Amino acid sequence: MRRARNLLLTIISAALFALFLDKAPELLNGYWQRILNLIAINAILALSLNLIYGMTGMFSLGHAGFMAIGAYVSALLILTPAQKNAMWILEDIYPWLLHVNTPFIISIIIAGLVAAFFGWLIALPVLRLGGDYLGIATLGFAEIIRILITNTPRLTNGSLGLKGIPAHTTLFMSWGCLAIVLLCMVCMLQSNFGGVMKAVRDDEVATKMMGINTFRVKVLAFTLGCFGGGLGGALMGNLITTIDPRMFMITQTYNILMIIVVGGLGSVTGSLIGSVLVTTMLEWLRFVENPITIGSINIPGIPGMRMVIFSLLLIVVIIFRREGIMGMREFSWDIFFPKRKAKPKESDSYSGPVLEVKNLCLKFGGLTAIEDLSFNINHGQIIGLIGPNGAGKTSAFNVISGFYKPTSGEIKFMGHQIGGLRPDQVCRAGIARTFQNIRLFGNESVIRNVMVGARIRQKYSWWMTLLPFIFTDVIREDSTVRARALEFLSQLGLEDVAHEKASSLPYGAQRRLEIARALATSPKFLLLDEPAAGMNPQESEELMKFIRRLRDEFDLTILLIEHDMKVVMNVCDYIQVLDQGVHIAQGTPEEIKANPRVVEAYLGKGAA
Amino acid sequence: MNLNIFIQHFINALSLGSLYGLVAVGYTMVYGILRLINFAHGDIFMLGAYFVYFATIVYKLPWAVGVIIAIILTTICGLLVDRIAYKPLREAPRISALISAIGVSFFIENFAVVVFTGMPRPVVQPKILMEPIIINGDIRLIPLGILVPVVAFILVAGLLWLLYCTKPGLAMRAISFDIETTRMMGVSVNKIIALAFGLGSALAAVAGIMWALRYPRVEPFMGMTPGIKAFIAAVFGGIGSVPGAMIGGLILGFVEIMSVAFFPTLSGYKDAFAFMLLIMILLFKPTGLLGERLEDKI
Repeated sequence: MRRARNLLLTIISAALFALFLDKAPELLNGYWQRILNLIAINAILALSLNLIYGMTGMFSLGHAGFMAIGAYVSALLILTPAQKNAMWILEDIYPWLLHVNTPFIISIIIAGLVAAFFGWLIALPVLRLGGDYLGIATLGFAEIIRILITNTPRLTNGSLGLKGIPAHTTLFMSWGCLAIVLLCMVCMLQSNFGGVMKAVRDDEVATKMMGINTFRVKVLAFTLGCFGGGLGGALMGNLITTIDPRMFMITQTYNILMIIVVGGLGSVTGSLIGSVLVTTMLEWLRFVENPITIGSINIPGIPGMRMVIFSLLLIVVIIFRREGIMGMREFSWDIFFPKRKAKPKESDSYSGPVLEVKNLCLKFGGLTAIEDLSFNINHGQIIGLIGPNGAGKTSAFNVISGFYKPTSGEIKFMGHQIGGLRPDQVCRAGIARTFQNIRLFGNESVIRNVMVGARIRQKYSWWMTLLPFIFTDVIREDSTVRARALEFLSQLGLEDVAHEKASSLPYGAQRRLEIARALATSPKFLLLDEPAAGMNPQESEELMKFIRRLRDEFDLTILLIEHDMKVVMNVCDYIQVLDQGVHIAQGTPEEIKANPRVVEAYLGKGAA
Repeated sequence: MNLNIFIQHFINALSLGSLYGLVAVGYTMVYGILRLINFAHGDIFMLGAYFVYFATIVYKLPWAVGVIIAIILTTICGLLVDRIAYKPLREAPRISALISAIGVSFFIENFAVVVFTGMPRPVVQPKILMEPIIINGDIRLIPLGILVPVVAFILVAGLLWLLYCTKPGLAMRAISFDIETTRMMGVSVNKIIALAFGLGSALAAVAGIMWALRYPRVEPFMGMTPGIKAFIAAVFGGIGSVPGAMIGGLILGFVEIMSVAFFPTLSGYKDAFAFMLLIMILLFKPTGLLGERLEDKI
């Protein structure tokens, strides 16, 4: 009902806008038509950079380079042999290139694909870097692309650039491309795959533990973003009709960055609003560079002033309102209507220990975190892992869940060797965990957090999310996942806050949400890192009940680290004790309480 | 290539490399402390060169006086940048400060266009620095080519002394290790950060002045490419390490000069070498030559 209403409203407004574009040539002069075109092109560029940076969290400064590729590819495909012969005066054009000629639409699609291919090529080495290094490396690549264009005159006519590109970019063309890009992007972001991208942005480590190969997700988002960059560049070339390497300097990237920062990183709506504002402002600011005559007074234009104002605005926005206009919110028709509420199970045959750890060692250089640890965990047990600070408990978790490679020794899960697997592979095998320092995807809603956990059990592939109305698997699987997520949330008492931002939850609720998210990966074995940390006695009482219920209802085996001895002694069937990386004791809670070595480890020699 | 030409290339590479190194030191200090790429650093370098131009050509001051004034003014500019554009963002996500840095860089460049105009301007070259010395009858050396690396090495040695033998230096190293703990030890963190910006800017000013002497001219965008290259040199040497920045700068200088010297056809690609080096080092030794590993705690 609500969906149908919103869809209808969207179609009506799109139709109205199309009608406006149809009449635009009569209503508006050339200057305003050009601005409208630029808005659409900038919006495509901003959306694609936002996909890379705002949605997936990769700081890329290479967009100008991909625009250059797009603009050149498209122009080379459109120009006629006669034009090419006339333009290449320094050196002859490659003969194979001379006669290549395609229609405009094909040329811009190929432009996008070539840019995407280069993006993919670049992504493989560069995306292994994080944060700022990525920014510098992509900036470098954009610069290399520009240098290549300047130095390959037979291909690109070098620094002379290309002229006389037919002005194919009409209002319908630019806004039509924007509409398609927008539709695909919104569909993708609304699918659970979109949630996975944002999860990578908010916490890559936790996403890995949800069984996601985050590197693949990043490469994909980057490549798709580059497609948008190439497409935007091609449209730009066909609007301005002349291109040369100097057009694609870093300033181009800054302009797009400005748009997405002003609009709000991670918001599609923000990118659209940002494109309108920044494009109009940049055009409007041209007046400060032109001489003005008011009556008899002549004010000379000030060259460079436009960019001074522009950069000052960028600084002011980032200092005083760094979330931009929209933050991470999106426009929705719902704001015009009063709110309403929404509404919404599974087992294996293997006998033998669920987890076998044998002679496990973990060393960091000279430091031994875990020394010769061996223990078995049987199906359906709740095992406590205790020990004083620095005993190696979390390190043991990190080895089991794949964040550290064991130095030696083996870890078997359900009879299969898992030591040395990547976190996402460990998760796929059926092990889920929570983190001591809560690692939620803070900017996402509670339910989206849980849904990311369920992504690995979904069958649809990312490209289907571009056209969910054709590949209805996307919609069907997502709604199943959503329903299950709600079920988990209601079991943990979080159903009322399902649509709140995860970071806005109180601490205890965030801990429970982490458990719900871990459960969504359908694990057989659950690692809980200090689940009772920060809880009051009543809350930890509830937690104990809940942990037992978890085991019974989900048929789980649970290993937990905990400092709250009351919780450990009450809930655990069996306890393993570590001290300074050495396994010093194991036994039932009663045995552990009476064990002098344990008391000594906690309280020091002589206390026993 | 005969010995004479090779020596000239060698000196040339040494002085270009030490200029990169001087600028890189400023990047590495700020990055080591704040994990921020100070994009405006290259433009601070440009300001240094412009201040000398104004002092010597416009206000006709003696060259040496002009240089001192320029260094002081540039340092003040560096401090202002930190105070206005970075300090309000200390608690913000790092990426915000990075965007602010891009904004500042963009601002300084265009402000320079407005105030100084986009036209390149000539620079006074003191005669004593330009008069070639002839050794062995055929090896010609320009004193400037020797002066640049000597000055650079003295300055970096001084900086190392400051970092490792004085209290503020100790505080600076402590901050780069753990800013919160250092604050709790009673160190005025913001003052030390300002010190890092001030020192970095002063070194960038010296580099900018010597750069302008080499190419005898100044223009508003002259800091852009050397700035990015110097940052790459800092990454190459291991970000956060001062000796690393100097070594990275020298390697970059040698790669640029020598590859063009031996393969003249590559001259069009000169500006791409730095980025190639960057990709290589990040793939094979992401911490750089002398860098330490930074890890995310799980």
